[in-house]
Amino acid sequence: MTDFIENAGHVPDFIKNDITWEKLTYSQNSHSLTVNVPILTPVQCDQLARHIKDNSRQFLKKQTVDSIIDLVDQVIDRLLNRDDPIRKKAEQLLPLITGFDPEMSRLSLTRYLKTFRKPQLLRFVSEDFSNPKILDDFQPIVKGGFAKAYGPDCLLHIWSGNVPGLPLWSLISGLLVKAGNIGKIASSEPLFASWFTKLLIEIEPKLADCLAILWWEGGTQDQENSLLQHSDVVLAYGDNDTIKQIRDRTPIKTRFLSHGHKISFGIISAQVLDPQKVWSVAHNAAADIVQYDQQGCYSPHIYFVEAGTNITPQAFAKYVAHELSCFQKKFPRRVLNTKEAIQLASWQNNQELESVSNPRKEIFRDKDGAWTVIFNESDKDFCLSGLNRTISIIEVNSLNQVVPIISPYKDFLQTASLAVAPDELFSLSRQLGEHGVTRITSIGSMTAPEAGWHHDGRFNLLDLVTFTEIESFLEGYSDMFANYTD
Amino acid sequence: MDLRGNIALITGSSRGIGAAIAKAFAHEGATVAINYKNNALVADKIVNECRELGGIAECFQADVTIPSECRSLINSVASEFGKLDILVNNAFHPYNFIPEKRKMFWDLEWEHYQSQIEGSLLSTHSLCKAAFPLMQKTANGKIVNITTDLISKPSIPYHEYTTAKSALTGFSKNLAAEMGPFGIRVNCVAPGLVYPTDSSAETKENLKEMIIAQTPLRRIANPEDVAGAVLFLASDWSRFITGQTIFVDGGLIMN
Amino acid sequence: MPSKGGNCDQINYKSNYPSNKIYKGRNENTVNQTNIIRSIMEFINSNNKTENEFNELAIEIFEYQYANNSPFNLFVKQQGSSPKVAKTWKDIPPLPISAFKRVNLSCCPPAKTGRTFMTSGTTQINMKGKSFHPTLSVYDRSMIKNFKARFLPEIEKIRMGILFPKEDVMPNSSLAHYLALAFKTFGTPNSGYYLNSTGIEFKKLFKDLKISQETKEPVAILGASFSIVHLLDEMKKLGKSFQLPIGSKILDTGGFKGQSREVEQEEFYEQLSSAFGIPRRNCINMYGMTELSTQFYDCGNEICPSVKTGPHWIKSKVVDPLTKREVKSGDVGLLVHCDLAHFNIVSTILTEDMGVERDSGFILLGRAVGENAKGCSLAADEFLNSIKNND
Repeated sequence: MTDFIENAGHVPDFIKNDITWEKLTYSQNSHSLTVNVPILTPVQCDQLARHIKDNSRQFLKKQTVDSIIDLVDQVIDRLLNRDDPIRKKAEQLLPLITGFDPEMSRLSLTRYLKTFRKPQLLRFVSEDFSNPKILDDFQPIVKGGFAKAYGPDCLLHIWSGNVPGLPLWSLISGLLVKAGNIGKIASSEPLFASWFTKLLIEIEPKLADCLAILWWEGGTQDQENSLLQHSDVVLAYGDNDTIKQIRDRTPIKTRFLSHGHKISFGIISAQVLDPQKVWSVAHNAAADIVQYDQQGCYSPHIYFVEAGTNITPQAFAKYVAHELSCFQKKFPRRVLNTKEAIQLASWQNNQELESVSNPRKEIFRDKDGAWTVIFNESDKDFCLSGLNRTISIIEVNSLNQVVPIISPYKDFLQTASLAVAPDELFSLSRQLGEHGVTRITSIGSMTAPEAGWHHDGRFNLLDLVTFTEIESFLEGYSDMFANYTD
Repeated sequence: MDLRGNIALITGSSRGIGAAIAKAFAHEGATVAINYKNNALVADKIVNECRELGGIAECFQADVTIPSECRSLINSVASEFGKLDILVNNAFHPYNFIPEKRKMFWDLEWEHYQSQIEGSLLSTHSLCKAAFPLMQKTANGKIVNITTDLISKPSIPYHEYTTAKSALTGFSKNLAAEMGPFGIRVNCVAPGLVYPTDSSAETKENLKEMIIAQTPLRRIANPEDVAGAVLFLASDWSRFITGQTIFVDGGLIMN
Repeated sequence: MPSKGGNCDQINYKSNYPSNKIYKGRNENTVNQTNIIRSIMEFINSNNKTENEFNELAIEIFEYQYANNSPFNLFVKQQGSSPKVAKTWKDIPPLPISAFKRVNLSCCPPAKTGRTFMTSGTTQINMKGKSFHPTLSVYDRSMIKNFKARFLPEIEKIRMGILFPKEDVMPNSSLAHYLALAFKTFGTPNSGYYLNSTGIEFKKLFKDLKISQETKEPVAILGASFSIVHLLDEMKKLGKSFQLPIGSKILDTGGFKGQSREVEQEEFYEQLSSAFGIPRRNCINMYGMTELSTQFYDCGNEICPSVKTGPHWIKSKVVDPLTKREVKSGDVGLLVHCDLAHFNIVSTILTEDMGVERDSGFILLGRAVGENAKGCSLAADEFLNSIKNND
């Protein structure tokens, strides 16, 4: 039994001694962890927001985007270094908080961090800005004239979920556009954003006044309202209820961006289903299920499998079932709490009862409930996964059948992973795009979006900034007033 | 070894090695399906012995050389017991193991081979095929096929018998390769001369003595010795072993 | 439907009944309803049944239900089980009670002579859990013997005040029948119902309680927990309280919304005790379900939460929701009950109630409420809710 204590969050020095701390506790396999998180009063929130706005204007806004990229790269370099004390801590404590298998956590952390190295960040910025210097100074633009992009003085992040490191996407985006950042960490993973911030400040101490990482109980409105009043842009993650609730309290002048919960899925063409190829596709399909136990918005709910070869979709389901049982030995599923277990059990019971009376539905499952594969021979029995390593596999007679099945879910679709032949790739992608899918990737890559991806199909950076344009006319006009005018 | 909750079907288990295997399973708490072809009375006796050992047992009549009977056997076991975890293919075509009376190669017609191959491979094929969908449900299933140590060293060339058992060994390895990705394991147990059984009843003492002399463990296998290897391959102790043959002959054959 | 792959065997297996020409079973006798009822009645009436005898009858009933109740038969097969492999009642796969809503579970065709009890809570009939009783003789016998032992051990009859609709108003309510049976069997002639279509008849009730208080005739108030809460609220409003005679009792059942938190129970029984002058050991809570024919009681509520126990013809265990395996004694899980008296539907059920084993009984911890996964993938029910909210 080891008891760990860790301080999370960050507030600038001027307020440090006046705030209170709350303890969040976690335990896993007889280890326990107490995380102290900073709590501010609404008045302190108000002071903090003003302070961060001022400082981000005075310091951060004057840095070049290249220097910020260098800074982030240095932080990521430390986080990738397995001898770095913070990296060591991350490897030790993240599994304790999230319950994910330590080895899985470690491998995915490295894979994830690698997408924030300097080359990837340069690509990230150029994805949204054809000339990244536009973030530093007025640059000529295509229509004529000049423009400069300004990040918000105060960008409020409201994070959720327990996929480790998820806040990095938005926090780094905020830094790249030179925003003053205030982030609310989620109780389900409060540490990663805190460590990142700590390292950032170690390397550039002046950033201490441009950033804050706070916590308050979800649904506590006083602090949140105070910060919402000050924010130029709000970036909220969470379920629809949470997002709606925050949006309703966001002032009209504030830009509100959100990433709600999503449905992702995979499609497997009959062309892939031969005895030589089926195993690796099934293996990758299972890997996407196992990674973060389907907690990611990009994690698969369903695989649609095309019938037509001697490897039937049912056989594919059985391959996936065994792959899940192998992964259970390699990276066991995190231990579910009683409420999560009840939720999953009730999903499983319903599927089982349905399969009792429905010969088109078959269940393959682990005797300990660690994974479940539901095979649906007909799309009439469409069902979503119960998550936590449960998957719905649906047989389709042709790939064209998939889009009508998913189209009712348009507002919620995100990633589609494909195992299809080249001649099917574009026609299928066209249809998927039309129906709301924003990311199309390969089976096995669902949980590792590439650097510079457009989360939910939006611009990560461009959505945060406003442009100031100098119209081309003005250039000539101001010439008229030059002292060198002839 | 706790096999409670496991359902095991053992073909040809009303007597001999099959009966010993059935009783060994029952002793470890497994639910045992006893298959017999003709003698219901003997089968009932084994069922009772299994129950006395604390297991649950029922007997099922089926001629496993007939594919349709194999299918209905598997279906009846599944519907009686709800599932099938372990299949032991033990039944084989009658064969007289009397060295003095064996057929020489020039006496053998293709039909002799055919009959042994069907006796050993046809039933195993039919049963495995029927059992496969049941075993896939939990990505867990164990198949044990009984062969012979003669496949490695035919000290007495019982051509058609040993050829058929060799085919069964090849079949098992292929099946293991195909079924591994579904979590189903397939292995073989290859006994030497086992005494007493009906097949070895007429074996001459001097042959037995000769075998004993060459066997490091200095005795002849009994049916329970074979059962031990089967239990191992059917249990979780061997969970990472598939496509193998375990020789149960006191070290006579060493591979 | 087309069969493909190697699927056909499985489909046959799914839809076949256990009868098979080559099977030689250990019990060739067919068990019919009359025999089953006779065995159960005998079991209930006897007071010295052993654990083994319970298991034997439980498995006989399991065999009967497996043979005669086709959805249950399929469920058991899907669970990879069968009566042949069950040695004790704990080996019987418990049927989740949500199944009572989905399929028609009965070992005999519905007949006019029987009674169907349904769960409350929704108006859609196909979403109600149903239990068909071809005869109420077993239910009634179970209820009467147990009620007598647990609620009225010391006297034959008591004056009753019932805070629940009469049976003819709610013919599908098992609680209405239960209370009517208590009323008919154990109520003195001056007993009465105090709830009509407009609610509790407070005036009449207060008048009669006052009479009881004066005549020193003990009285029993029986009803749904939430009705008793209303009664308490009304008395509080009017500043009323009673000092009911010694021997008076209260029986509440059903719990409250957001149920069974210790504080609420503590408060409830404290208020109850002081409002009526009845010691908390005589405030008894009954736990019953439409999906059962036998009830559990506590021995009063001096300490909350109280331990619930049932008679010798019902047994319970606490299981892990996911694996359905019994948890370590003292760990929290879902309650599974095996009620021999519920012979016509399914005797062994998986409830949606959380509990923990305690002193040969269990403590009820309220309804099992799930929680969605922690991540940002849309959960199935969250999706249904968002669709609803958008409509």
